[in-house]
Parts: sequence; C-alpha cells; structure tokens
Amino acid sequence: MEDMYHADRAMSTQQDTKISAKGVQVYYADNHAIKDVNVEIADKTVTAFIGPSGCGKSTFLRCLNRMNDTIDTCRVEGDILLDGEDIYDPKVDPVQLRAKVGMVFQKPNPFPKSIYDNVAYGPKIHGLARNKAELDEIVEKSLRKAALWNEAKDRLNAPGTGLSGGQQQRLCIARAIATAPEVLLMDEPCSALDPIATAQVEELIDELRQSFSVVIVTHSMQQAARVSQKTAFFHLGNLVEYDDTDKIFTNPEDSRTESYISGRIG
Amino acid sequence: MKTSLLKLDTRTKKRNAAEARFKAYGLTAIIIAMLALLILLTSVLGNGLSSFRQTFITLNVELVEDKLDKSGVRDLEVMSKVTTISYAPLLRDALIAELDERGIENPLSNRDLGDMISKEAAATVRNRVLANLDLVGQTITFDVLASGRIDAFFKGDVTMESAVLDSNTSPEALTIAQQLADVGVIETKFNWNFFVWPDASVQRPEAAGLGVAILGSLYMMIVVLVLALPIGVASSIYLEEFAPKNRWTDLIEVNISNLAAVPSIVYGILGLAIFINFMEFNQSSPLVGGLVLTLMTLPTIIISTRAALKSVPPSIRDAALGVGASKMQSVFHHVLPLAAPGILTGTIIGLAQALGETAPLLLIGMVAFVREYPAAYTPEAGLFGEASTALPVQVFNWTQRSDPAFVERASGAIITLLVFLLIMNAVAIYLRRRFERRW
Repeated sequence: MEDMYHADRAMSTQQDTKISAKGVQVYYADNHAIKDVNVEIADKTVTAFIGPSGCGKSTFLRCLNRMNDTIDTCRVEGDILLDGEDIYDPKVDPVQLRAKVGMVFQKPNPFPKSIYDNVAYGPKIHGLARNKAELDEIVEKSLRKAALWNEAKDRLNAPGTGLSGGQQQRLCIARAIATAPEVLLMDEPCSALDPIATAQVEELIDELRQSFSVVIVTHSMQQAARVSQKTAFFHLGNLVEYDDTDKIFTNPEDSRTESYISGRIG
Repeated sequence: MKTSLLKLDTRTKKRNAAEARFKAYGLTAIIIAMLALLILLTSVLGNGLSSFRQTFITLNVELVEDKLDKSGVRDLEVMSKVTTISYAPLLRDALIAELDERGIENPLSNRDLGDMISKEAAATVRNRVLANLDLVGQTITFDVLASGRIDAFFKGDVTMESAVLDSNTSPEALTIAQQLADVGVIETKFNWNFFVWPDASVQRPEAAGLGVAILGSLYMMIVVLVLALPIGVASSIYLEEFAPKNRWTDLIEVNISNLAAVPSIVYGILGLAIFINFMEFNQSSPLVGGLVLTLMTLPTIIISTRAALKSVPPSIRDAALGVGASKMQSVFHHVLPLAAPGILTGTIIGLAQALGETAPLLLIGMVAFVREYPAAYTPEAGLFGEASTALPVQVFNWTQRSDPAFVERASGAIITLLVFLLIMNAVAIYLRRRFERRW
C-alpha cells in the first residue's frame, strides 16, 4: 500500500515520465535483492538513489539498462518501461537499449586508447557519423558538454588513461553522451574523485539535466541534496520513500528515511 | 611486567629464525638450480661448439677422362653410371701428389691414405662434375672433408695415444695430417654446412648436418601455429566470454586442464591411430608431426589465453557494454587487444614446448634416417607430406650412434635447438613488453 502511495506522488509531478518501473523484483540466485519497487523517473530531471550499502540501489540502476544481463544468476521480474515500452520484452535487444540509456560507472574506466577514440567509439559502432567530419563534430560536442574540451582539445590523441581521475570520469561522461542517449545512469560517479573533481562533475550533471534524464546513485546525501530534484531512498531492497529532494531532506514521511538522513542508520 | 623494546622476546626470536631459515632454503634451491644449469651449459657447449667447425683438405684433383668418361661423349646419362667408387682414387692420387710436392714422408698404404679423406668427398666431387661436365679432363681445386678421425684430431678428441688403439686411423696418418696442417693444406674452419646438410650414415659423421631436421621442425611449427593459434584462441574466447557457466563447461574446463598434463607420448599414440592408421597420411611427415604437436599444444594455449582474458579488468567490458557495444564488439575491440600480449606469450611458450618435443614424434615415425632432402621440399610438390625428421629427434638419433664424432654432432644439435628456443622466448618477452598497456 505504501508503494502505491509513492507511485501516486510521482505521477502527480508535472514533468513527463521517462522510465516507469512497476513491481520490479530482482534475485541473485536465491537472494531477493530488490523487493517490489515501483518508481516513475521524470524526463529532464536528476533523480538520486540513496541508501546504505547493499540496499540494492546500484542493482536497480543496472536493471534500467539491462547491465544485469551479464550476471548469469541474476533474474529480473516486473515491468520497466522506457517511454512506455517494456525494456525486458524478448524483442528488445539490450545493445539498442544501452545506446539509448547510457551509463557512467563508479570507477573511471576509459578505454586504453586515445581521448578521441574513447569518445568516438560509441558513435562509430552505432553508425551515428557518416564521415570523419561528422565524427569530429560529435567528439567535440560531447567533450564540450562534458566540460573537458578546453583541457583535452590539444591532446585528443593522448591516451585517455593518462588523464587525472576527475578528467577521466568526465571523459567517461563524454563517451556516454556521445551516443546521444535519452537517459544517463550514473553509478556513484564521484566516489573515486577528490572534492574539486567532484564539484566539477556535479556542476556537469546539473547542466546535463537540460538534455537528458539523469539517474544517479550516490553514497553522499549532500551530493543528492545538491544535484537532484527527486530522491529515492532504498533500504534492504525496498524503495522506502520517493519524493522531491527538498521534501525528503527536510520533511521525510518515513521514520527510516529520517533515521538515515540524520545518520542514525546506514 | 614491563618489557624492553631493546630485548627480543622468545616469540620474536623464533619468528625471525623461521624467516631466516626459509630464506636460506630458497637461496639454496636457487643456487642448486643455477649450478645445474651451469654444468649443463658447460658440458653441452664444451662438447658441441666444435661441431660448428669442420676440417677440410684442399686438393688439386685431376679429373681423369679415362676414369670418368671413357667414351668421351660427355653425356650426362652415361656419366651418371660412374659411381663414387671411381672418384675416390682420384682424390687419393691428388693427396699423394700433394705429399710428394711438399716432400712429406708417406709410410701409409694407399688404402689407409685414402681413409684420411671423408667418404663424402668423392660424392661432393662427383656432384660437382655432373653439374658441369666440362670439368672432366681439367685439374680443379676442391675443398673436401677430412675423415672424422682427422677432424677429431684437430679438435683434440683423438690423440696419438688413442690412435694406436684405433682401427680407423693410425699415429702415422695423424703425423701426415699435422704436417699438412702446418703448410695450410688441411684447415679447420667454420662449417656452415652443418645447418644445411642432411643426416649422413654412421660411417661418415663428418658429413652429417641438421638441414632436414631444421626444415622439418620449421614445417611442423608452421602447422602448429596455423592450427593451434586460431583454434586455441577461438575456443578460449568462447569458453571465457560467451559460454554459459554450467556443469558442461565445468567438465570441459577440467578436461582441458587434464589434457595439459597428459604425457606427450600418449599424443603420439593418438596421432599414430588417427592420422596415420585412420586418415592414412604419410608417416614421418611434418604434417602428421605438426598435427600431433597441435593437439599437444592446444591445452597450453587455451589455458594461457583464458588466463590472459581473465586478467583484463571487467570495468573495460562494462565500459564497452555501457556505450552499447555488443558482446562480440566488446571482446574483439577491447578485451582481445588487451589480452594479446598474454596470448602471444602463451602461444610462443607452447610452440617452444612443441619444438623440443621428441616422444610423440618417435611414435609417428619421424625417427627415420633421412639421408636426402625429401623430394617434396620443392615448390611443385606439397611441402608437408614427405618423410622428414626434426631437431630433437635428430639429437635422439645421433646420441644412439657409437662413433664418438656423433656425440659432438648431437651436442651441436642441442645447442642449435637451445638457440632456437632462446630466440622464441626472447620474441615472447619482446612482444609482451611491446604490446603491454598499462592503465
């Protein structure tokens, strides 16, 4: 009943729904990792997933672009709709899905190739550029969007792995947005970065909101408060509370949310 | 009770002693291994280096027309009927003339004097004559092989004392040889032919070479590389990246590990049964040898390739999948290039192992005595189907022969084999350094 309530809350917001999850259950072999999660993720919004370690927020995030498919023992039930289409439909090819739903990982993981090749890889395999000039343009646009262009424009052929941690993560973001996704999933994108790099990435996330729906998993409640408009609190595989970020941090409905926010659990 | 930091307690002392003991064991083991290696190398190099040098006699041979071409028609077919037996006396006469000219005393019978020249020499001269019939009637200078005993004398393996007891030579012959060497008629020089000539019969160790063995080994390595690398890498990629992890793949995995530990002679029996008895390929051929060695090398390549693939961090796979690459694209664009140095190293180690393998080759008949370059080693025939031999088998063959000159040859073959292995390992290390990427 509680879940129904949250679903209603999400529906009542003004923005369009981008992703809608209904009754999602995730099992790792016998371990029930996600229990009946219902959530509506709005377009052009930053949605933060918070919660203690092992609460299932990363697992749920990886369900949204079917990255869990690579884990043999993982089983997903329920419906996840992207623009009203079930992404777990047998007719859906996860490769096509992932071009629409990009992902940035916890640890910066650029390919051991040049900066240019890192960004150009996605457009190349999806055939987004007809020629070199178009590809150059995509690379430049993506790097500009990722606020890396000024630092990288003179060394596009230098290896991406030679950048600093924060630059590497922005390179990964550039790589993810180069395929023109509609949704950008970020799994603790700042946990391996220092405060300055974190600030840069957070600023970037705020700008990305103009073009994408961004879903970010974070351990830092301050970060969630700073960057997101909506926040979902996960606990032990349940979605406990999902609401406007301001509301969650100032006036949470659930006592568990309040405990977590004030540092009593987690 | 307060303890002082300056005084070691019993526990610490015990621990330190255990550590010191362990270090000592390790050091001893390494020293023993180094000593063994040193002894091996000294013995092999000491015995074998001399095989790269060979003693030659420079003779001005008169190619008497009466003996070689009685009819005088200079017809190749007619002259081919003249065997080496007719050429040997010409060489002996040339040697006698040389001795007379230099004023060297000759107490030997003609027969014993002839024995100072290798039996191979007559064949060498005959081949030269048959290649150019115009030589008949002229006096030509030939650099011919000295016999094995004379050769061994200049390498220090035969002495005046041992010659007394030797039925194949005599102190008188050695004295003549020494005098000829003093005037420069007999010379010991680098013997490139050791790597070119085929094997020779037991009577003429001085003419035995590694040519056919090196070619045979080369062809087998080509077969192994062409078959084992693609099959091994493809199956590793499938098992590691695509195959579901279930009971069947576990079973396959266990069996691959088991195959890597199967004694190599068993692969020989398998090859004999399948490739020779069932598929009826030529026995002793590099094709069959290569196929058997491929079977033997596959597990090594598969295991090392899988290890190399496993060592690629999963974050790279995630990154590729995250931007929408398919499984195959992520493997071929990202995982495989990163695993390449490991795969190449594993492959070369596998090849090196195959190069030195003897036992399975014995069973498929590669132990045969190959006196001639196989006819098929010509562009128009198949390269891989004719009887051949291989380097390690040649070592095995030569060590079985009683003439001490073959001991030297066998050691020389071992050195050659070791040099090939060293080169392959050096290439492996180079490739690893060259292609290794750090991130």
